[in-house]
Amino acid sequence: MRRSPDGAAVETSGLSKRYGRTVALEDVALQVPEGSFYVLVGENGAGKSSLLEILMNLERAQSGTATILGLDSVEQGARARAQVGYIPEHHRQLPRWMKCGDLLRHVARYHPAWDEAYADQLVDRFGLKLDRRAGSQSKGEARRLQFALALAHRPPLLLLDEPTDGLDPLIRSRTMSLLVEHLADSPTTVLVSTHRVQELDSLADHIGVLQEGRLVAQMSRDDLLRTVRRYRLEVPEGWQPPPDLRAAEQWRASTGRAMQATLIGEEEVVVARVTASDATVVDTTTLSLEEAAVALLAEAAR
Amino acid sequence: MIVNLDVQDARPIYLQIIDEVRRALVVGSLRPEDPLPSVRELASELRVNPRTVSQAYQELERAGVVYVRRGEGTFVSADALPGPAERRALADRFAKKILIEARRSGIGLEELSAALRRVAGEETAAEGGAGQPEDAVAAVPTGSDEGGEG
Amino acid sequence: MSGFRHNSAPATRAVLREQIRAVRVENVRIALVVAGLLLFFIGLVVDEVILEGGDFPFHPEHWVLPAMAGLLLPFALWRGEERRGAGFFWSLPVDRRQHALLRVAAGWVWLMVVVAVFVLALLALTLVSGGQILGERTLRLLTLPLETPGGPLPPGGVREVPWTMTPLLWLAPFTGATGAYLVVSTLALGLKRPLRWLAGTFVLMLLIAVTGDFANSRRVAQVPARLLDAVMNGRWGWDALITARTESLKTEGLLPTGESVVVWRALPDLGDWAIATALWIGLGLVAVWLAASRHRENRGA
Repeated sequence: MRRSPDGAAVETSGLSKRYGRTVALEDVALQVPEGSFYVLVGENGAGKSSLLEILMNLERAQSGTATILGLDSVEQGARARAQVGYIPEHHRQLPRWMKCGDLLRHVARYHPAWDEAYADQLVDRFGLKLDRRAGSQSKGEARRLQFALALAHRPPLLLLDEPTDGLDPLIRSRTMSLLVEHLADSPTTVLVSTHRVQELDSLADHIGVLQEGRLVAQMSRDDLLRTVRRYRLEVPEGWQPPPDLRAAEQWRASTGRAMQATLIGEEEVVVARVTASDATVVDTTTLSLEEAAVALLAEAAR
Repeated sequence: MIVNLDVQDARPIYLQIIDEVRRALVVGSLRPEDPLPSVRELASELRVNPRTVSQAYQELERAGVVYVRRGEGTFVSADALPGPAERRALADRFAKKILIEARRSGIGLEELSAALRRVAGEETAAEGGAGQPEDAVAAVPTGSDEGGEG
Repeated sequence: MSGFRHNSAPATRAVLREQIRAVRVENVRIALVVAGLLLFFIGLVVDEVILEGGDFPFHPEHWVLPAMAGLLLPFALWRGEERRGAGFFWSLPVDRRQHALLRVAAGWVWLMVVVAVFVLALLALTLVSGGQILGERTLRLLTLPLETPGGPLPPGGVREVPWTMTPLLWLAPFTGATGAYLVVSTLALGLKRPLRWLAGTFVLMLLIAVTGDFANSRRVAQVPARLLDAVMNGRWGWDALITARTESLKTEGLLPTGESVVVWRALPDLGDWAIATALWIGLGLVAVWLAASRHRENRGA
C-alpha cells in the first residue's frame, strides 16, 4: 500500500500478457491520474480488454504488477475490486437466472458503499425492468443494467470496456448524460477502453494508445493538443522530408507546392525541423481526439 | 443561457465555454447577478467532462467575470458588464476565424475588408427597403444571431 | 497508507448469507421440479403401500435419493461457470478462493434443508401408515455362501439374528449427501469441463475392459469392474457412506417353501459407516479446498 509518487489511481508496471503465441500486452506501464477520464484506444484485439481484466484480476499477467488506488490487484484483489465499477466487454456476463431486481439487491450486499436511493434513481432513468431475468434481456438492456450496477455504489474508479456497445444512439446519449452527472456528483477516475473514440471526445482528458500490445503513447489532452497537429506546409520542388520529422502517414509525393501532414512533436520543434529543411509552415490546426488517436496508431505501425 | 459548442471548433472546450459566457454577456442574455447553470447541469447538457466546465468557471472567476456564492452556485459579477475590452475580444475572435478561413482560399486582408463592407452595405440597403429580416452576419453582433436568445 | 479514499469490501458473514440467498433465488425452477418429484414419490408410496393396507417402515438409511441430490446440486450451482469464465462471480469484491468455498457452503445448507424435508416426508408416511420407527427386527443371516442371488438358500446356511436399528443411522442421508456433494463440488470447481472428464474416464474404463477382452487377459479386462466394485461396495466405499452397506449386504434367496426372502451376507456395521463417513467427508473437504484453490488470487501464472 505504498503511495504512488504521483497519486495515479491506476498504475501498471511491466505488464505483459500472452495467449499462447499471441501477445496481448507487452511491458505496459499505464498511468491513470486520479480523477481523470482516461481513454485507452487501440484496434480490436490490441489487448485493451486484457488490461482491464488483469486490473480486475480476472486474468493473470505473465509478468508485471498493477495497482488500483494503491492496492495491488492480485495480493489485495478483493479490496481493489471493491473500489471499482466494472463493465466488461461482454454484456452476457451476468448471472442469467436471476431477475434484475434480485441481481441489484444481490450486488448491493457485496458493496457496503451501495447508495440505495441512487440505485433506485438509476433504475428509473435507465428504464430497467426489474422482473426480467438477467439472461433473457436484449444487449442494450443488459448493458444498461451493467451501468446501474457499476454506478450505484459510487466507486472511486470506473473501468469501462466498450461501454456504449449495444446501445442505440438515443440511449447512448442519455447514458452519457447520466455518466457526466455521476462524475459531477462523485469524484471518480474513469478508464475507458474503446475503439469508438469520437463519442468520448468531449469527456476525455487523458489518452493512451495501445498498438500490438505496446503502449505507444500516453499523455494528457493538453499535451496531445500541442504535440499532434495537422500542418499545412509549403515545400520547394523535390523536397525530401527530414528523417527526424515524425509523420503519421507515409509522405505522399507532392504534386504541387502545398502539402498537408499530421506531424507529431512539440510545435516549436516541428516548425524548426520543417524550416531547417527549407520548407515553411503555413498554418497548423488541432485534431479531434479520434484523428489524433488514428495518427498515433498509424505512426506506431510504421 | 444557451451554450452551443461547435463540434468543428478545435479549441479546448473550456475556452469555448468561456467565450460563450462572454458572448452572452455582450449580447445581453446574461446580466449581472444572473446565475450560471451549475457545473453538473451544464456538463450534462453539453455532455462534457464536468472538470472542463469547472475549469471554465474557475477561469471566469479568476477574471472577475463571475463569482461563487457558497451553497448557491456561480453568479455573474455585478461589475461584469461587457466593456469595450470584452467587445473587442469578441470581435477579435470572429475576425480571427474568418481571416483563417479566407486565407485558406487565398483571400487576403484587403480583399476581405472590401468584401465585408460591400456585403454589409448591401444588407443596410435591403433593410432600408422592404424591412427584410436581418441575416446573421458573422462580424458584428447586432442582437439576434446564432441562438443567443436570453 | 496510500492516501486514497477506499470503499470497504463486504464482511465474510454477509457474503455467506448473500450466497445462501442467491442459491435460493437462482434455483427456484429446479426446486419446483424437486418438490414435484417428492410429491410424486409420496403419492407412489401412498398408492402402492399404504392404500394396500401395508405399513411403511422408517428406514431413511435405505434411500439413495439424498445422495443423488448431493451429486447433482453442484452442477446446478456451478452451471455456466465455464461459459462465463472470467465472469461475474469472480469479479465481485471477495477473495476468490474464499468466495468459491462460501458458495459451496451455501449450497450445502440448502442440500441439508432438502434432505431434511425428504426425511420428514418419510417419517410422515411411516406415522400415517402405522409403520415401525425403531425397535428390534429379526434378520436372516447367511452362514454359508449363496451361489445364485435369488436362488435357493443353502440348507442350514441361514440363521435368524435379532438386530436393533440405531437412530444414529438416521444421519446417513445427511452425511451421505454431504459426502457426495463434496466429491462432485470438487469436480465442478476444480475442472474446467467436469462433464468431459467424467465422460473421458468412462471411455477410458471401457477401453481397458475391451483391450483386456481382446488380449484375452481376464485380469486386465476386469480392472474397471473391480475398481468400480471397490469404490461402490468396498468396506468404506460409496454404499458404506450412503447406507452403511445395508444395500450391498442385502440379497434375496428362496426358502424351501419357495418364498423369496431378504437375506444378509453380513450385518451392517456402524463402525464401518462411521469410518466411511469420516473418510469421504474428510477427504472431500480437503479436495474441495484444493479445487477452490485453483481460483486463488496470488502471483504466478
